[in-house]
Order: sequence, then structure tokens, then C-alpha cells
Amino acid sequence: MTTPVLRVKSLDSGYAEATVLHAVDFELQQGEIFGLLGKNGMGKSTLLKCIMGFLPKTAGQVELDGLDISGLPPHLIARAGIGYVAQEKALFQDLTVEENIRIGVRDRPIGVALGEIEASFPFLLKRLGQRAGTLSGGEQKMLLIARSVANGSRLLLIDEISEGLQPTMIERVASILINLVEQKKTAVLLVEQNIAFATQVAVRYAVLERGEIVSRGYANDPSAAGNIAGYFSV
Amino acid sequence: MVAQLLDVVSTAAILYAVAAGLLLVFGVMKIINFAHGALLTVGSYAAVVAGQYGLNPWLALPVAAAVGALLGIVIEYFVVRPLYARPLDAILATWGLGIVIGQLLTISFGRGVHFSEPPLRGVVDILAVDYSRYRLALIGVAVVIGVGISALLSRTRLGLDTRAVIMNEDLARGIGINSGRVRFITFAVGSSLAAAAGMLITPLSSVDPNMGTPWLVNAFMLVLVSGSSLVSLAIACVVLGGAQVLVSSYVSPILGGLTIAVLAAIILRVRPQGFAHA
Amino acid sequence: MLEPPGSEAMLSGSALQQTRGRLLPVLAVLLTCLAVVGIAPYLLDTYSVNVLTRSLLYACVALTVDMLWGYMGILTFGQSAFFAAGAYSAGLFFTHSGFGPGTALAALAMGILAAIAMAVIVGWLAFWHGVSELYASVITLVLPIVCTQLLYSGGAFTGSSSGLSGFESIDLSVEAWFWTAGTLLATLTAAAWVFVSSDAGQVLVAIRENEQRCQYLGLDTPRLKILLFVACAVVCAITGYVFACYSMVVSPELAGFVFGTELVIYTVLGGRATLIGPVLATIAVDYESAQLSGDYPFVWKLILGSVFVVVIVAFPRGLLPFVGDLLRRATAAWRGSPRASTADLPIIDVLDPAEAIGTSAGSGAALRLEGVAKHFGSLKVLDGITLTAGAGELVSLVGPNGAGKTTLMRCIADGLERSSGRIEVNGHDIGRSPPEFCVRLGVGRKFQTANVFNTLTVAECLRIARARLDRPSVFSRSRLIRLPPAAYRTLVATGLDQKLDSPAGILSHGLKQALELTMVLALEARVILLDEPTAGLTKEERAVIGSILKDLVKVDGLCVLLVEHDLDFVRQISSRVVVLHQGKILLDGSVDEVVESHLVKSIYSGAGHQAGPT
Repeated sequence: MTTPVLRVKSLDSGYAEATVLHAVDFELQQGEIFGLLGKNGMGKSTLLKCIMGFLPKTAGQVELDGLDISGLPPHLIARAGIGYVAQEKALFQDLTVEENIRIGVRDRPIGVALGEIEASFPFLLKRLGQRAGTLSGGEQKMLLIARSVANGSRLLLIDEISEGLQPTMIERVASILINLVEQKKTAVLLVEQNIAFATQVAVRYAVLERGEIVSRGYANDPSAAGNIAGYFSV
Repeated sequence: MVAQLLDVVSTAAILYAVAAGLLLVFGVMKIINFAHGALLTVGSYAAVVAGQYGLNPWLALPVAAAVGALLGIVIEYFVVRPLYARPLDAILATWGLGIVIGQLLTISFGRGVHFSEPPLRGVVDILAVDYSRYRLALIGVAVVIGVGISALLSRTRLGLDTRAVIMNEDLARGIGINSGRVRFITFAVGSSLAAAAGMLITPLSSVDPNMGTPWLVNAFMLVLVSGSSLVSLAIACVVLGGAQVLVSSYVSPILGGLTIAVLAAIILRVRPQGFAHA
Repeated sequence: MLEPPGSEAMLSGSALQQTRGRLLPVLAVLLTCLAVVGIAPYLLDTYSVNVLTRSLLYACVALTVDMLWGYMGILTFGQSAFFAAGAYSAGLFFTHSGFGPGTALAALAMGILAAIAMAVIVGWLAFWHGVSELYASVITLVLPIVCTQLLYSGGAFTGSSSGLSGFESIDLSVEAWFWTAGTLLATLTAAAWVFVSSDAGQVLVAIRENEQRCQYLGLDTPRLKILLFVACAVVCAITGYVFACYSMVVSPELAGFVFGTELVIYTVLGGRATLIGPVLATIAVDYESAQLSGDYPFVWKLILGSVFVVVIVAFPRGLLPFVGDLLRRATAAWRGSPRASTADLPIIDVLDPAEAIGTSAGSGAALRLEGVAKHFGSLKVLDGITLTAGAGELVSLVGPNGAGKTTLMRCIADGLERSSGRIEVNGHDIGRSPPEFCVRLGVGRKFQTANVFNTLTVAECLRIARARLDRPSVFSRSRLIRLPPAAYRTLVATGLDQKLDSPAGILSHGLKQALELTMVLALEARVILLDEPTAGLTKEERAVIGSILKDLVKVDGLCVLLVEHDLDFVRQISSRVVVLHQGKILLDGSVDEVVESHLVKSIYSGAGHQAGPT
């Protein structure tokens, strides 16, 4: 049994009055896409921010490849190999494509980094000098993934990347993620409200409701769809 | 006419040198360091002390810069860092520090006025006008400061990290930038620049424990009107500095001293981003 | 103030009693202070009396700093300028026109007028929509600088850097001046205390705490800020006038920002939002400074500055509250637990539907949008939105994330938001009106994340929500809250009526949403905008909200526009559904039409279940 890339143990988090996350417990293996599903306000983004160190935990632990990263500041967690793709304001709009990639790359020459993304994102290499803010919505999301791939992140935390994208674009993102995982054995924690997209790419899933995991299983299980949908309606 | 033009350019240069450090701190940390005036004064006194020991005046520059950096490090660690989440309180606290530093200087040097000799004396003939060599040299110094900071920001790893923190601190942290270190270094550099600028402006007038305050007010009005851009700051210094020179010459020197503050306030009311791009 | 029949008549007796009950202790303290002021000159030496007279007057100015900063959140360095306006008015009149009853009154009037003029200019510069706190404070710093420079440049007229002195003024003994200053301070402090403890004072705190919510409750916050600012300026000017008459010397330092910032320092030391703290701190520090000015002036300022920095970093609420907390903790065991007084519980009075003033329904539909568009640079968030909704309609706005739903809500509630197009509410064009004016036209907006006043209780939140319609008293606190029937029903149905005294910040997520909804309904708006009202609610809570919304439409005849992700909820309660996709209206029709539409299904890549992704 190999060490999971990410292990979240009994995580609690909250503010003075409200517990936002309660006893969240799951793990991710290398080369696995894990779908974390839930509606607005259920705690998905909070969970990612806790893992990244932006929000404090009141209990529990987070381990990366067996190492406890629970108390580390965000920049060290990022350097440890986690690529965080936030839902909003995730790019430096005024910097070029190349600068956005370069900024996240610390331990390798930029040439090597760009080489990593050549296969999956050839169009980005043609637009290195373009200001990131002028790319289309879908292209910006691609750049976000490319940035984390370029610096060799072992684990991607992706927060609602399908939001606002056309179905064709969502398909492209799905195939890129699947390829990425197959070729580089990256692990992906995919936070989503778009069930179809999530179940298409994920191997396993969990549903977060009011800060607690209320259901989990394998995405290709025939009962999965109905099971999940039950949490997304009255 | 030529003299007036040179006055405008040299005034703009001096203002730029004084405000650059404040702009850096404002851009990265989103606060106005109200101790900037006191740091300016510290630099001035460094020049006075160097003069008293008979040192080459230019040597006072690295001394002033070093003292400024040291003070900056202490201030950042003990006062600014704990107030990270309370920016208006941070501004008040740096104002209090300014008072403390001012009083320490008064106790050490007395309330009297001091003078120091300019490192460059004499005049130079420019287009049939005799102009102060030192003021012209200051234009060069301002250019060096501007180019130097820009180069640091655009060509070094630290500079890239700093620009990232200026644009979006949380995003910068999320991709591996140690924003705490950037803030720390920025504040030290900003304080160092303040002290250095203080040393440079000493020969232009006199030194007393409160000389930094009028400069502080002008500097932060210029910074507010420039946003986070060094280029905007340069433009603001030329435009507003020029206005100050003109008002001082044709209306009254006292009202001239108000020009920058009043104009900046009105500009910001009409166009909140000031001289910066949209 | 409108007197609704019935309950208030019964209540008026006890309400009056409450006012009396509140004012009585204040009056008692005031009389005690006046007695102390009366005796003091006979117990102290002349020098101290002189110094204290000055300190007492400075304390009056510090009081205004605390009012503006501690209570309303406006950090002001410039109260010294208004003080100098009154002082220099006296100095100028008495120096150049001699002293007499006529000039005395004229000087006072001019001083007040000058202060008002300056305050209005500063107000125009510093209090407008979207201004940053930093800019507002910077303007209050520039004001005294401008004033001192103008005084310096005034030549012989203003006395330049030496100021004016030796003019004749009101002839009173040292003791009489002390009594004047003391009475002025005590009365002002008492009046300020009554004001901040009143319902109107609560509005100040609400603005400091969450200005945006106040605007969306219809309160014209820029105007309120200017009003308080001008009032404080007048107080400072009067104080300055008294000071000039007493000291018979005015100098430019009185207008300077050093004095202005010293007042801020005293406020920080004494404790923001305590009134007494800054007053005591000013008296203590100013008195001590005078005593030490011969011996160790610089060391004293050094100590003061250091203490100031330490207080800001370590004791942000100030020394008085810190000491107060210590005392409270020390005496807690001795005092025992506080009795919950039932005498102070808020009382809800439900308005007659006929009384609910609300907004006059203009001609035309409740809500009409024509060609509304919004872009950020080249990014088009909304494009050509045209729709009409009438009273008694519950319209649900659905669409994938990023379709522009919240932006549309913002545009309807805030005339400054949209880039182009026309929006009419109840037949009135909202034009470029800021949120507080849109509320007056009849729009109430509930935000996506519960937007209430976390440090105020539920009852206090509701009172703020009613502030536009039920003018809050400036000297008393009413127990009565008048709510329209819809708001009252919501209060009871969600159980909030049992939590009137809870601070809003500790309510559960569902109750916070309910509170915000109640506050919006309290506005008596005709068009209600709800952004994801069911987000984070339990099944039971959702059912309650659903029936409340249905009643709003059926019983109260409101127009409700609702952004929702939960398509089953939408299906149960809506009469109409508008589908938004990439900034444009894709479909606008009945619930069945939209749910059966293939087009809609294709944009929601639904997985087997008709609910689709949410």
C-alpha cells in the first residue's frame, strides 16, 4: 500500500461561531482524480483553503506524501508540490503568459518548465508574450493548469474550473486532465458543482454537505449518478 | 525660462527621490509609512554628523542608507507586522514612531537648526544660465534611483516576487512566494531610501528635528496619486512639482507649499486612480 | 412621528418611563460633574486652574474626534482646523473691530459659518461612494495644513506666525472661565452620551460596521456622515471661540495637524468609542504636559509617543476599556451573574397593511429592464437584457455559474452599476441612482452571503432596517419595532422572534439568511431581489423559506426576483423562470416550458437527473 499523495485526517475548521468543516477524512493516491462535490456554501472552497494553509484548522491533520503539512504557511505548502487553482483571481491579469508561468517556477529553468507543458498546451507556447488578462475564459483556465504542470506540482487542487465554460471547452479540460494524470501521474483534487464533468474524469468521489462528507464512492459505479444527484435537490 | 525649467525638473527629481521609498512600501504593504518623514530626518542628521567628523559628504550616503535600513527592519518587525490586519492602525502607529524618533533626535542634537555643506559646490553654465551643480546632480540621482528600482523589479527573482505581491498577495503566496519576506525586505529598502533621500536634500536647506514632516505630506500625496507605479510617480512629480514651482514663483511661496497637497486631493476626487492606468 | 393606534398608546406610559429611566442617571452624573467643576477652583492653585481650563476645552474637541472616529468610523486629523476657525474668528474680530456685544456675536457667527463651510468642502471631498478610508483620512490631514499655511500667509491681518494677541474680550475671573469650560465639557459629554445611546447613535455604529448594508437599507450614508461632520465642526468652532475669549491669544498652531493628531492620540489612549476615555486622557495628558513643560518636555513627548505606539499594537481598544475589563473581571465573582432584565426586551408592533407606507406604485410594471448591459473592458457580463415583471410574480433567475445573475441583481439595486440600458422600478426610472435611492423607489436586495450587522442584536438590526421609515430618536432608545406583516410573518416562521436579543454574528447560517430577509422585508419594498436565499439551508429551513416567498407574492402582492441553483425549489415556488446564459436571456417562460426545454438541458450537462448540476 503506497503512501497516498494527500491524506486529510478528521479535519475541522471554522470561525468563532460556526464550524464550516467537520471531521473531513479522505485520501488521494498518485495518478488519481478525486471529485469533491457539493453545492454553494457547503465548504468545498474552505477545504481547499485549509489544505493550502490560508485558513486555520481547529482539529485534524493534512499530510502530503506522508509529511504533515498542517501548520505550514501557504508558500511552503505550494513549494512542497501542491498547485492551487483558485476559483477567482487566480492569474496575474497584467503579466504575460510566460511571466505567469515563470512566477510559479522556482526550482528549474524556465526552458525546462515550458518543455513540460509543450505537449498538452501547444497554443500557450505561441502566446507567451500576451497579457494573461486578454486570453479568453477557457484559455485562462488552461493557463492555470499549465502553470502548475510547468512547476512540477504533484498534486493539483482545482476549484470549480468548469464554471462559466462552454461544454466544448469543458471537454477539452477533461481530456487534458485525464492525459496529465496518465502521463505524469499527477494527483488531482477536483472540486465541482458540475456533476457530469466531475464523474466523467474522476475515479472516486465524495459529496460534501454542510461541511461534512455525506457520501463517497467510485464514479463509474452505476448507482453513483443517482446517489449524487440526491444531494443536489430538495 | 531655462532656470524655471531646470527648477521644475530638479524639484521633480528631488520629490521623486523622497517619495520612491514610500511608494514601494505602499505598493507592497498597502499602508502609508508615516515614519517616512522621521526616517528622512535621520538621514539628514547622518549627513550633519558626517560633516562634523570631517568625512567626505558622499560617504554619508551609505551610512544614512544603512541606518535607515536598520531602523526599517526594527519598525517592520515590532510595529508593522503585528498590525498586518489593521492598516489604518498601522498608519497611526508609524506616526507615533515618527514622533518617538523625532524626540530622540531632539534629545541627541537639540532643537536648533544645523546645516551641512553640499558635496558638490558651485554652479554650472547651462544655456547661458548659472545653475546649482548640486541640484543638477540630484536629477541624475533621481534617474539612477528610478532606473535602479525598475531594474530590480523587472529583472530579479525578488523583483518578480515583489511585483506579484503588489498585484495580489494571496495569489502570490499560493504559488510559493514568501510574502512575509517580501514585505520585510521592501520595508527595509523603503526606509533605507528614505534616509538616503534625507541625506541628499540636507544641503538644500537646513536640518532640524521636524524637517521631515512637510516632505512626508507631499510624499504621501504623490504616492496616493500614483497608485503603485513608478512611472506614474515620475509623471506626478513632474506635473505637481512643476505646479508647485510655478505657484511659488508667481503667487506666493507659502501657497506654493500647498500646491501639491491640494492638487493631489482634487485629482483623486475626480479620478480615484490618479495618474495610474485604469 | 406616526402614532399607530392601539398598542403604542398602551405602551407610551412604559416607553416614557424607559426614557426617563435612561436620562435620569445621566442627569445625576452631569450634576455631580458640575458640582466638582464648581468646587475645583477653590481647591487648586491658580496655575493649575488656568491649565485645566485649557485642557477642558481641548477635551471638548477630543470628544468630537471620538464621535466621528470611534462611533462612525471616520478617522479625522483635522478637528483642530474647526477649533481654529472659532478661535481666529474671535481674534480677528476683536483685534480689528474692537470688542463689544455686537462684534462678540458676529465673531461667534462667523466662526461657526467658517467651520460649516470647511466641513462641507471636506465632506464633499471625503464622503462619497466608493471612497477609501485612507483617502478620507488624508483629506482631514490636508485641511489643517492648508489652514495653517493660509494663516501664515495672512500678513498683519492674521498675525502670520506670531498670531494675534492682546485683544480685548469677555472679562471673567479665572474661576468663571474654569466654570465655563467645565460646564461646556460636561454638557457636551452628557449630550454626546445620550446621543450615542439612542437609536440614532445605533445608526452611526451600523454605518461604521457595514456601510454597504446601510446603503442597501436606504440610508444615505454620505449625507449622514457630512451631517455629523458639520455638527462636530460647529462644536469645535464654539469651543475655539470660548478658548480665544479666555486666552486672548490665537496662533497658527491651533489650526495645525500636530494639534489635530494629538487629539487622535488622546482618543486612542483613552479608548475609542467610550467618550469618557478620550475626555479623561486629554485632560490628564494636557495637564501633565503643562506641568512638565519646564522640566522634561522632550522626554515627556518621547514617553507619550512610545505609550501611544504600544497601546495601538497591544491594547487596540485603548487603556480605559482595558482597565474596565480588568475591573470587571476582578469584581465578577463579587457581583455575581447579571440578571437578564425582561424589562428591556424589544416589542414588535405589526403594522396594518394599510399603514405600510412603502413606495407609491408608479404607473407600469413593478420591474422593467430594457437593453441592460454591463461590461468590464472587453468582457461582456450582461448583454441586451430586456424583461418585465409585475406585482404578484415570483420570477426565478437560473443559469450556470458565471451567467451574470448576481451582476443583474446588482444592476437593478444600484443605478451606478450597469454600463447601458434602462431600468424602471414601480414605474420610476432608476437612472444613475446609488443604492440608497433605489431603495426609496422600492427595491430591496438580499445578498448572496448573509449581509447583516454582526455586532448588533437581531432587534437592533431590524431597527436599523426600519431607520429610513421610522425616524430614530436622537435622545432615546425605543423598545418598539414596527414591522410590516410580511416581515413579521418571516420573523415568526423562522423562529427569529425568540432570538431578538442575540447578536447577529452568532446566529446559525440559516438564521442569518432569515434575518437578512426580514430586514429587507422591513423596508416595505415592492420589488424584492433575493440572491440564492436557500444556499446552505436545511431541508426544513428551505421549506419554510419557500412558503414565505409564496406568501409574499400571493398575500402581499410583491414582485420577487430570485436567483437560484436548486431547480426543484424553483419549480415548486416560481410562476416564471428566466434562464440566463453567458450574459444573455436564453429563455423566459413558465416553469414547465423552461424545464422541458432541450436548450436548457443542453447548457446544463445534466447527469441523468432533471435537477441538473447546481
